[in-house]
Amino acid sequence: MTASAGSDQLLTFIKFLRGRDIPISPADTLDAVHVASLLGYQDRETLKHGLASVLAKSRPEQARFSDAFDVFFRHSDQRDDVQNSVTNEAQALPNDSETISTSNGVSSGMSTLEQLAQQNTDLAELLESPLVRGLSSSEDGALAVAIEQAAANAAINGIRLFTQRGQYMRKMLDALGERQLRDAAIALENNNQEAFNEVQRLREILRDRVRDRVEHAYMVHAVGDTEDMLDQALAEVKLGNVSPYQMARMRKLIDRMARKLASRHGRRRRKTRRGQLHVPATLRKAAATDGIIFEPRWRKVERRKPQVMAICDVSGSVATYAKFLLMFLYAVQDVLPRTRSFAFSSALGEVTDWFKTLPVEEAINTVNQRYGGATDYARAFTDFSELALNDINRATTVIILGDARNNDSDPRLDLLADIKSRCKRLLWLNPEPKKAWGTGDSEMLRVIRCCHIAQECNKLKQLERIVDKLLADSRG
Amino acid sequence: MQESHYPELLSVNDITRAFESHGYICTSRIATVVYLAAALNKPVLVEGPPGVGKTELAKTCAAVIDKPLVRLQCYEGLDEAKALYEWKYGKQLLYTQILKEQLGDILGGASGLKESIQRLHSTGDVFYAREFLEPRPLLKAMEQEAGAVLLIDEIDKADFEFESLLLEVLSDYQVSIPEIGTIAAASKPLVFLTSNDTRDLSDALKRRCLHLHIPFPSVELEKRIVASRVPELQQHLAEQLVRFVHAVRDFDLKKAPAISETIDWARSLLLLHANHLDRQLVHDTLNVLLKYEEDIETTEGELNKLLRELEIV
Repeated sequence: MTASAGSDQLLTFIKFLRGRDIPISPADTLDAVHVASLLGYQDRETLKHGLASVLAKSRPEQARFSDAFDVFFRHSDQRDDVQNSVTNEAQALPNDSETISTSNGVSSGMSTLEQLAQQNTDLAELLESPLVRGLSSSEDGALAVAIEQAAANAAINGIRLFTQRGQYMRKMLDALGERQLRDAAIALENNNQEAFNEVQRLREILRDRVRDRVEHAYMVHAVGDTEDMLDQALAEVKLGNVSPYQMARMRKLIDRMARKLASRHGRRRRKTRRGQLHVPATLRKAAATDGIIFEPRWRKVERRKPQVMAICDVSGSVATYAKFLLMFLYAVQDVLPRTRSFAFSSALGEVTDWFKTLPVEEAINTVNQRYGGATDYARAFTDFSELALNDINRATTVIILGDARNNDSDPRLDLLADIKSRCKRLLWLNPEPKKAWGTGDSEMLRVIRCCHIAQECNKLKQLERIVDKLLADSRG
Repeated sequence: MQESHYPELLSVNDITRAFESHGYICTSRIATVVYLAAALNKPVLVEGPPGVGKTELAKTCAAVIDKPLVRLQCYEGLDEAKALYEWKYGKQLLYTQILKEQLGDILGGASGLKESIQRLHSTGDVFYAREFLEPRPLLKAMEQEAGAVLLIDEIDKADFEFESLLLEVLSDYQVSIPEIGTIAAASKPLVFLTSNDTRDLSDALKRRCLHLHIPFPSVELEKRIVASRVPELQQHLAEQLVRFVHAVRDFDLKKAPAISETIDWARSLLLLHANHLDRQLVHDTLNVLLKYEEDIETTEGELNKLLRELEIV
């Protein structure tokens, strides 16, 4: 293989890796090209080790890299073989027809068709077509070459969506001349059952091969794009509409967002810990050097540890949103370790421990079972005040998630105002769109006055922005 | 492509052979990465459980290319002054005291403050010169004329800020000292960083390194390692021992025994003149292999079954 063909392949491989959730920067790509040119493409094992050392940067990535390498290079090795045989074939073609027909004779399927062809001139004609010869020949080379050519004709590298597979298969089959087979099948269907079955069998083989090729192309060229698109779409969809089968993807997405936020805010904290010059300590230190100050000493900035208390309505209408909020909060535990969570619909209880001991999803289910029911804010605020009001201080951020619909009874907003006066920030998240606030039994317009911030929150994107702000504030 | 200036590391096969002659059996993976590190002048970030030979790799590498090994052990609170360089304050102070009189000579006859200062300026910045610089490991590695192996051990124990400090050293092989300027490496050292995965390293650092993860070895490989490190041990005993260690690694232990423990155990058995493993012997020497009381208890409980499975009775 020539060097440029190799590096083209390498670039496709890198695209493939990106699709498999291994982030690779342009600088990494350059490194990979260097590595490949040093190691060459002959020894696959060495190449794999070498590329892994520059492209896979953590253990999960290494596992993914290893799989991806095997998948990618297995297919592309097959293709290389084919390309080699293309050139061989081209040279050997003029005197090769005899060998092909002898090998055809060996194949059992062909012999039935051949026998039938002796009685039927149409069939004999069909037999002469290169496609049928390739299909029924035991030599795989010719067919593989034809499929590769058809793939190139159909511009298969342009595939982007799962749903395009059928379309590309059709294009490739057309390019291969499958129409002739189909016509033959239709003609034979009613008058020659045996030949019909045989032709159908060949068609099936052909379809299988083409489907394989298209699926591989989809995997290499499209999976990554599609994944990105799905993730983006999911971040914008209303959380209440996320279906159960999307939950796994949602979890991954939340984890990824949380990791990003955590690393962004975790770092800033350490930077700002150094305070002003500590004059006495500096002078004391300078005593050893005859009063000449060599080593300044600094005061440490004492900071009260930030704390978040999340109060979630888990009654039917809002439960899903509570689930995502809690999932998010517990995914950023590394930077926000003192999160306490409370759940209510009428009675309120602390659920922090459940999240510490159980996996998040299980904990959420338990919360729903224990505290689900009709909403009563007055009861919830009373319970909360008893439970935790004394723990609220100037470093506490309180987040309340609820739709502020209290079934027309008094929500005891005086208690809410009390919470507000004690904490650093009181944040009310409402999954209803702003237009619906204050309609029907919604107390939202009155609630706004008792919080620092009231926000609409029903998409993952909004949730991300809120948690981002929360982290920035709590470090402030 | 830059030529590697380490003739011992010019091909993957050479490396495998050279390391083996120094008693380090490396997999093709390790050899490939060492080769790339030398050829591309990139640092290697070695990860893996404790005791699989991460530090040993750097030591062996130094022995193979016959260059000094400069080691920087990382810990929490490690800073510039301990890793890069420090000014020799004492020496500076002492010299200023001694040279006080000289100062009078230099300034003798100068009229006015302006002229005095000009004269001082003309003498140059004598107190911030290389002579007053105390090189710490990173700078020391840069200063080795003929090249060196720099081992930055347990980078994950150092603070986050320290990683940023390393970036200049790792990508450009130079150290910037505000008072003097930039000191570039006389000859680019081979750099190994080791990490036990106790925390995630920054992307910036990861990006500059080649990644090498050393897992526990296969049975075959570990047998070769034992044979190379403890050649006096009888072969069938070595085989029993390695298979036993592999079986123990499958248990749910606080700390699984690594290669270093296997070798320690092999040496202990040699000292005890053991010919084969038996229940009593294993019982008596298990504390060489396992470092936690709980782990020993777990293994003791399974001992009979384990020995039967391995057909060591």
